[in-house]
Amino acid sequence: MINKIITDATKAIAGAMDLKALDDSRVQYLGKKGKLTDLLKGLGRLSKEERPAMGEAINEAKVQIQKLIEIRKEELEEVLLNQRLLDERVDVTLPARNSEKGSLHPITQTLNHIQDIFSKAGFEIEIGPEIEDDFHNFSALNIPEHHPARAMHDTFYFDSNTVLRTHTSPVQIRTLERQKPPVRVIAPGKVYRCDSDVTHTPMFHQVEGLIVDKEASFSQLKGLLIDFLRAYFEKDDLKVRFRPSYFPFTEPSAEADIECVICNGDGCRVCKKSGWLEVLGCGVVHPNVLKAVNIDSEEYSGFAFGMGVERLAMLRYSVNDLRLFFENDVRFLNQF
Amino acid sequence: MNISTRWLREWVNPDVSDLALSEKLTMAGLEVDQIAPVAPPFEGLVVGHVVNCGKHPNADKLSLCEVDIGGNENLQIICGAPNVRKDLKVAVATVGSVLPNKLKIKRAKLRGVESNGMICSESEMGISDNHEGIIELEANAKIGDNVRTVLDLDDQIIEFDITPNRGDCFSALGVAREVCVNYDLDLPELNFKAEQRGNKSFKSKVSNPKECPRYLTRVIEGVDNNATTPEWMAQKLLRSSQQLHSPIVDITNYVLLELGQPMHAFDLSKINGGINVRSAKKNEPLELLNGQSVNLSEQTLVIADEKSAIAIAGVIGGMGTSTLENSTEILLESAFFEPVAIAGIARSYGLHTDASLRFERGVDFNMTRQAMERATELVLEICGGVASAINETLDSKSLPKLEPIQISIEKIAKVLGFDLDPAWVESKFKFLDFEFKANKNNSWTITPPSFRFDIRIPADIIEELARLYGYDKIPVQRLAIDANISNASQTKITSNDLSSALVNRGYKEVITYSFISNEMHDLIDPKAKKILLKNPISDDMAVMRSSLWSGLIVSAQSNIRRGHHNSRFFETGLCFSGTKVEDQVQKIAGIISGNRYDPQWAGADRAVDFFDAKSDVQALLTQSKQDYSFEVAEHPALQMGQTAKIMKGKVQVGWIGALSPKLQGKLSMPAAFLFELTQSEIEQGETPSYESFSSFQASQRDIAIVVSKEVSADELIHSIRSLKQADLIDVNLFDIYEGEHIEQGSKSVALNLTYQSSELTLTDEQLAKKVSKIVAHLETKFSAKLRV
Repeated sequence: MINKIITDATKAIAGAMDLKALDDSRVQYLGKKGKLTDLLKGLGRLSKEERPAMGEAINEAKVQIQKLIEIRKEELEEVLLNQRLLDERVDVTLPARNSEKGSLHPITQTLNHIQDIFSKAGFEIEIGPEIEDDFHNFSALNIPEHHPARAMHDTFYFDSNTVLRTHTSPVQIRTLERQKPPVRVIAPGKVYRCDSDVTHTPMFHQVEGLIVDKEASFSQLKGLLIDFLRAYFEKDDLKVRFRPSYFPFTEPSAEADIECVICNGDGCRVCKKSGWLEVLGCGVVHPNVLKAVNIDSEEYSGFAFGMGVERLAMLRYSVNDLRLFFENDVRFLNQF
Repeated sequence: MNISTRWLREWVNPDVSDLALSEKLTMAGLEVDQIAPVAPPFEGLVVGHVVNCGKHPNADKLSLCEVDIGGNENLQIICGAPNVRKDLKVAVATVGSVLPNKLKIKRAKLRGVESNGMICSESEMGISDNHEGIIELEANAKIGDNVRTVLDLDDQIIEFDITPNRGDCFSALGVAREVCVNYDLDLPELNFKAEQRGNKSFKSKVSNPKECPRYLTRVIEGVDNNATTPEWMAQKLLRSSQQLHSPIVDITNYVLLELGQPMHAFDLSKINGGINVRSAKKNEPLELLNGQSVNLSEQTLVIADEKSAIAIAGVIGGMGTSTLENSTEILLESAFFEPVAIAGIARSYGLHTDASLRFERGVDFNMTRQAMERATELVLEICGGVASAINETLDSKSLPKLEPIQISIEKIAKVLGFDLDPAWVESKFKFLDFEFKANKNNSWTITPPSFRFDIRIPADIIEELARLYGYDKIPVQRLAIDANISNASQTKITSNDLSSALVNRGYKEVITYSFISNEMHDLIDPKAKKILLKNPISDDMAVMRSSLWSGLIVSAQSNIRRGHHNSRFFETGLCFSGTKVEDQVQKIAGIISGNRYDPQWAGADRAVDFFDAKSDVQALLTQSKQDYSFEVAEHPALQMGQTAKIMKGKVQVGWIGALSPKLQGKLSMPAAFLFELTQSEIEQGETPSYESFSSFQASQRDIAIVVSKEVSADELIHSIRSLKQADLIDVNLFDIYEGEHIEQGSKSVALNLTYQSSELTLTDEQLAKKVSKIVAHLETKFSAKLRV
């Protein structure tokens, strides 16, 4: 009898194709009016001797059927879940909703990169005005009136004493007017020259650097700039050379060349076959500059450097036309 | 400045290649821009003598030549050049030779007649673009000689980029001196002395001796200016990019290039009386050698005769007294003009001359007489004539002072960061022509030579030593660590913070010029002060921007023209309300136009509107955690009714609004929304200070009221907040409705009120009481009606 019930129940449970059918089987066998319950109810009719064995058998059957139902339930739930997963599949390769494609201008990215590198060496960032007076842009930087260097600057004027700064060097003066040594700053910003052709835009960016301290020598300047250029171009063995040059506000003055990053120094169109690229100007701060800001050049010395940001950006991003930076074509901006 | 290495090596000839020489000079501060051969490589060209020249039997334009090249028999060569003729010395490319254009010369038949070689033009030899005819060699060229040797083609031209401090290097002599210093060689001594047979005196005076401390003239009579400039001189001039003129002018140009002393030759017969070096009279007229007529300024120093100015001192001569082919009596001038007196003068007349370039940077004031002797010598040699004595006007106290300079080995080491050997230092002083006296403790007293205008202070001497030592050999040192920790404010919102917020919201950063057109200024910010450039590059770049909107609009415009209609651009930068430091203010601004998103599968296209821009502005404002408000306002560039001032308390920090329809029309722009914020007003945040929060349940109550359309959302919310009702922790406007069931001119506003007490859970009755107080307030203040 019990065996029959178990066999039938096993068949019914296995044959239940959904949770409802399984629940019906449960009711049919284990429910209040179920077949096993009926048997249990009939226990009273059995003899005292038969009762325990029968009771145990019924209970065992109950446990067995319950277990079968449990297992079948899990199976059916699994099937259901699988179906749901199938139903809820999406094409994960579809584009994201409302995706944003913002970007920083490549010049800003370059400036940030330069600032990050110098920040690690303890440099503070200073900025200055773009409309400057003659004193800060020229005189204090040892470029008196009629100095030949003035003619090379192609200056934009507002009046005879007011100009658009031609370089970021006036920030050196403004910093030293405000702050006593030791000074360790860089000054990024826009500069202006009255010149516009394939290789010149009337506005461009420079980063100026200045250290004034009791001990600040040309040797340290070399060390700092070699480290900087290698960090900027992310090349530990980048070759750097220093060439004498002239700036009114530094002496000795130098220009730093790097091995051409386009041809690795073999000679190409970009480096005019020389294998070298001029990337920055630098030098020991001229005593007249320190004098202009009332710093004793016997006690303090300093060095300064300046670099063209567009040039560094062009080399790093392989941009071959300077003017692209100021046309703001989204096809250009999208690439950065 | 260009100079040929052959010329340079006539002065001083170090045992190194031209390339090594130019690299050495570059590394010593005389930057070589380029070194290029005079002629490309070719071999097999020899001097030929055209023995016979007749017509080609079958071609009118060809000549049949018999050319002697020194071989056993003469060559028959066909030549097409119009200038080929009997007895000419020519350059013959023999059979087998290869020209620079890769043309290999073969025995050939031209129109049935055999030709055994080719007579070459300059362009065929690759030495110039001249292909009008064959090159005519000097009559005394030796038949059969290699043309490369005859024309001195194994020469290279070095192009120097000379820095403003090294005016002394604008001559063969100056570059030769640099070579000597770099290779420890001695320069041959200069000792020019011309024969002086005449006795014609000439009166000259200098009214401004401070500006012209030394002025030399010399009369040379009986010259022949029809003579030919000799080949050696012509070649040097041409290889220094100096054009040829008459021999007298060529000689003055040559002396300038050789010694660095600008010279001038006047036609003596055209000078009225003596010469006076004086300031120009106001607006004094002068016709210059280049044909330009100028009215002189009083700052200009001139050479004048008794009638008028005849030259601008140190810059250019006048047309009226210039030497011509028929000039026979000349007055040579050699002078020292003070650099400051000459500086800027040429440029003020739009001129830039070889003379002004040198005088502005400083010419050796001890070279004046040597140059005069040299020029005279050359005139006599080339043009003949009789030279009279040199007439000199000198004010020695106005000559530049060569003050002694003190320098010590310690000072040098301090600036350079390493020690130099005193013996080496002294040897370099010697080659630099520095007069020096050794003092105690390895220090020196130095007097610079008269040609070095850039050596005045100790730093100048240190630079000389550093560059001669070699910058590349200077050891490298690391910076000592700077252990000072500067203030790093946590609450300061940086430019990067603001830019990142916009980039994350899909904005692309642009960088536009700080100067804009007049039109743009007038359209966008007509009330702002116009800061005009005196010398703009063009009308489009004439006014300093007072707002970033102009550049943003132009950026959007140009991208729309290229088919990119969804614009989201921002820029940061200075805007200008004046030229003082405080008038230059950093702003951040943006423009949006077109659809909010590119077409996509997951949603419908939607045009951007005011509230997209506002949401972006809020992304910038919330960083500082300050309270900002938007106030209805009007702006000339923006659409009335969609314009707001952005306020922090009573201070305006920016603008936001729709580009006005009028401007849209004028600028051919679609609908666009603009914002602009003054960075300094939004960059100061606050350090957060924790407040504990209530553990009792918060309750929400919604109310809907009908008010006039004129009542702004901000007014309602501020008004509720101003009640400072206890336990009211938030007011949120969540719906606006106009239309059916709502009276014309009114709107329905739904507000969500959040209450929470820190002491207990509020009961329904307590809440109802609080809400009704608020409703009552709105009824009184805005005549609001509660919607049920």
